[in-house]
Amino acid sequence: MERTTQTSPARQELGERVRQIVGREITFDGEGFFWDPHQWSEEAAKALAEEAGLKDLGEAHWTILRFLREYYFQNGRSPLNRQIKEGTGISLMEMEALFPGGIKYGARRLAGLPNPRNCI
Amino acid sequence: MVSSRRIIYLDNAATTFPKPREVLEEMVEVYSNLGVSPGRGSYDLSMEAEERVMDIRRQVCQFFGGRDPERVIFSYNATDALNTLIQGLIRPDFRVVSSRLDHNSVLRPLHYFSRQGVIRLDLMPFGSEGLIDPMGASEAIRPDTSFVILTHASNVLGTVQPVERIGEICRERGIPLLLDVTQTAGRLPIRMEEWGVSAVAFTGHKSLLGPTGIGGLVLSPGLDVEATRFGGTGRDSLSLDHTQVYPQRLEPGTINVAGIFGLSAGLRYISSRGMENIYSKELGLARRLHNGLNSIKGVRVYPATLHDPWVPITLCNVDGMDPEDLSSILDGDFGIAARAGLHCAPLVHEDLGTSPKGGVRFSLGPFNTDEDIDQVLEAMARISRSR
Repeated sequence: MERTTQTSPARQELGERVRQIVGREITFDGEGFFWDPHQWSEEAAKALAEEAGLKDLGEAHWTILRFLREYYFQNGRSPLNRQIKEGTGISLMEMEALFPGGIKYGARRLAGLPNPRNCI
Repeated sequence: MVSSRRIIYLDNAATTFPKPREVLEEMVEVYSNLGVSPGRGSYDLSMEAEERVMDIRRQVCQFFGGRDPERVIFSYNATDALNTLIQGLIRPDFRVVSSRLDHNSVLRPLHYFSRQGVIRLDLMPFGSEGLIDPMGASEAIRPDTSFVILTHASNVLGTVQPVERIGEICRERGIPLLLDVTQTAGRLPIRMEEWGVSAVAFTGHKSLLGPTGIGGLVLSPGLDVEATRFGGTGRDSLSLDHTQVYPQRLEPGTINVAGIFGLSAGLRYISSRGMENIYSKELGLARRLHNGLNSIKGVRVYPATLHDPWVPITLCNVDGMDPEDLSSILDGDFGIAARAGLHCAPLVHEDLGTSPKGGVRFSLGPFNTDEDIDQVLEAMARISRSR
């Protein structure tokens, strides 16, 4: 089940929508990133991974997801590219291959952190 | 946080980095001695600063082959200059020609006026090799075209457009040609009067090697641009009407004096090293990079073939990989800074078929080396093999 929300024009422009994931309402942006990182749970990550074609999240996946979240809550921002590599001991090239959708749309999205909106 | 690790910086089309030490030192030195509001007071220092700024207007005018240094207008960057130019020229029912190769700094202001029903906008297409066909331009530029505004070189593909030929067409038909020289200024000679160009818009912080926050316009004497921002100019202060005198007409408020001194130092640096020498070194490296990438299986380069002249920009993708991820891998695993995405030129990517995610752009600068290119090619080969 999915519905759009009645919030600010800026959030609407970013395609905000609400979905039911493992029995809880979670707000996502138009690219599928969590709006509020506190709505994340391991169960939600597993469900979203399965939707993306990843049936089981292995040890390497959890190492990355936990590092991304811990860093975010300790520092108030997502880690830089080199910090991810240093912090997990996993190269970004390996990480890209581990997650369907790669680094941004795979790992960063499943970690439940806000969309890293670079100017593209 | 300041990072001390060595990176291979290949985002020079966004801004050149690092800046030459000579430029930064000269900027600080001159600003330390003359950093007052130029021409706003009758005290000696203000007059000296104004004189120095006027000398720099002459330097800029000469650099671009302009005619009148008083028609050198300083702005904050090329986008600011282009907005001053476009908004100061637009009139209801104008018909404007630009191209699908242009940057949002040109396309967005034009699109805004087009959407408001103020102007009609005609966008010239480009061919598979990233070039506008002068014959196509001749058809697009109609008798009722009010002005043509065009990028000199694509910031996505590096392809240099046939502006001399388009300038001839415009001159024959009495239509002003305005040029965005953001990617070419400091690399290729620009002869605005000779080419029949009525205005150039430039930025100081890219291949002119100055600091951010400085750019400008050089206007031909035949082109009048209305002021769209008003304020203090140090002239005719008794009147509430904004001055019509150039350059103050288009420079309300205190100008970026430190930036202007830095721009001048950048121009002097280029002149002392020789623009041709800098360009030829960059181009040699860019050719190696382009050819090397073209030979890696799984790497797609746009456009596949090169045409002279060309500015040192190469766009590519690795099959099946999100360009943002490719950029993250290059950065995090290999220490290579390159720009992923649409590069603020969405129509180029739309026509290349790389929209909406774009590609990864490598853009070279004066401080890149052969070793940098070796490392990029090795990294790209490893990444491509990992697929």
